[in-house]
Amino acid sequence: MRKFLFPQEPDYWLTSLRVGLSLVVLLYAISSRHDWMALYSIGRRSIVGRDLAEAVLAADSPLIPQLGWLVHAGGLTGMNESTVLACAWVALLCAALFLLFGLFCRSAAITTWFLHLCAVKSGIFFSYGVDNFISIGLFYLMIGPLPDRFSLDCWIFLPPGKDPRLHGFFQRVLQLHLCLIYFFGGLTKCIGWGWWNGASLWRALTRPPFDAVPPEMLLAGRHLLPLLGVSVCVIEVTYPIFIYWRKTRLVWVLLVCAMHVMIGLTMRLHLFALIMIVLNLAAFASVWFSRIFSRRSWENHPSAPAEGGDATVESG
Amino acid sequence: MGANAPPGNVFRQAITVYSNSAGIESAYGFFAPNVPNGFKLVFELHYPDGHVTYELPGVGDAATGLRLNNLFECIATTPFDPVRELLFKMLSYSVWREHPKARVIRAVFGSVVSPSLAEFEAGKRESYEVLYAYDFSFPPAPGTTKSD
Repeated sequence: MRKFLFPQEPDYWLTSLRVGLSLVVLLYAISSRHDWMALYSIGRRSIVGRDLAEAVLAADSPLIPQLGWLVHAGGLTGMNESTVLACAWVALLCAALFLLFGLFCRSAAITTWFLHLCAVKSGIFFSYGVDNFISIGLFYLMIGPLPDRFSLDCWIFLPPGKDPRLHGFFQRVLQLHLCLIYFFGGLTKCIGWGWWNGASLWRALTRPPFDAVPPEMLLAGRHLLPLLGVSVCVIEVTYPIFIYWRKTRLVWVLLVCAMHVMIGLTMRLHLFALIMIVLNLAAFASVWFSRIFSRRSWENHPSAPAEGGDATVESG
Repeated sequence: MGANAPPGNVFRQAITVYSNSAGIESAYGFFAPNVPNGFKLVFELHYPDGHVTYELPGVGDAATGLRLNNLFECIATTPFDPVRELLFKMLSYSVWREHPKARVIRAVFGSVVSPSLAEFEAGKRESYEVLYAYDFSFPPAPGTTKSD
C-alpha cells in the first residue's frame, strides 16, 4: 500500500499540470473577456444578475468564494463594481501568466484557483463541466509540491527539491480521481441503450449548441456511430484497468486524448477537451516526459535520491 | 455527504465548502446515461405601434453561447417556479435594455426536439416544443436614443 500510494516520481507531471492549467485558464479568461461584465455584474450590463447566483450559493454555504466578496472589499476602498470586476479579470490573467512561467508558483496557483472559483461560483448558472475540471486541476496544483524544476522559481530562488514520494503521492491522487471520473462516466453510459446503438452519439452531435458537424455528414458515416458509441463506453469504463497496466497505458492515454480531441472538434467543446487532455497527461504521461527530457537533468535535480537509491520512475 | 444534516450544521458546511472549492460538488455525467434535449429561448418584443420583433439572447462570444446552454438547463430543471420566473425576468430585462421602446416582452422557452437518425433520413428536422412562456411589461423609457 505504501508503495502504491507513495511511488517515487520526478516532477514532470507537476510541470505539465502547471503549464497546461495556466494555458487553459488563459484561454478561459481570453474567451470570456467580451462577456465578463455581462456574466458577473449586477448592474445594467448583466444577463442574469450575479446576486441571484450568490444568493443560491449562500443557501448552500456563505463561505464558498464568490466575486461578491471582492466587490464588497473594493467598495470599502471606493471602487465601483465594474472596476473591481475588471481588476479581477486582469488579476486572473496575470496569475495565469505567472503560473505559466512558474514565477511565485504557489501564490500564483492560489490566486488563480481563488479568482477562477469566485467567477465560477458567482456565475453558477453559466458554469458547466469544464469549470469543475479546471477547479479540480487548480486545487491539486495549489496543494501540490510546487515548484517544479522548470519553473522560474526553481531557477531564481533554488528551493530545496521536494521528496519524489510526495510527487508520487499527489500524482497518484490525481490518477485515482480520473479513474473514478471515467469509470462512473462510462458505467452510466453503459446503462443508456442509446450508447450501444449510436443513437446517443447522434443526439450528442446534432443537439444545439454542440452541432458543429452538419447532420448530412454524420449521415454519411452512420454505420460508424454504433461502433464509436460502444468505443466511448469501453474506453471510459475500462480506463482504470488499462491506464494502470503498463503495457496498455500509452494506448489508453492516446485513445482518451483522441476522444477528447474529437469531442472538442465536433462539439465545439475546445476548452473542455483541453482541460481533460491536460489532466490525463499530467496524471499518466509523466513517464514519457521523463524519457523525453534528459536523464541528466533528473539526476542533477535536488530532489533526486542519492546514488544507489531507488530512483526508478514508477507510476503503476 | 452531510446532505441530510441541517443547513447550519458545521460538518455539512465544511463538506460543502471543501467540495465546492475542489470542484467535486457535482457528478460528471458526460451525457450519460442519455443525451438530454437542447433548449431554446426566444424573446417576442411587442411595440406600442403593434409591431412585433424577435430576439435571441445575445452574447459576445461563442464560448459564452455554450455557457448559456447551462443556464437553459437550469431554467428547465429547477423545481422552483419563482426562480424560473426571476431568471426569465432578468433575461427579458437584459433584452429590453437593448430595445427600450418595447413595451411587452414575451419570453418563450422550449425544448429542441432533435430527430433520430432514421427520422432525419425520412426528412424530419428539429422541432421546438414550448415549455414556458412569460410576459413582462416594461415602462416607456424616457430619453431613449436607440431606435428599434
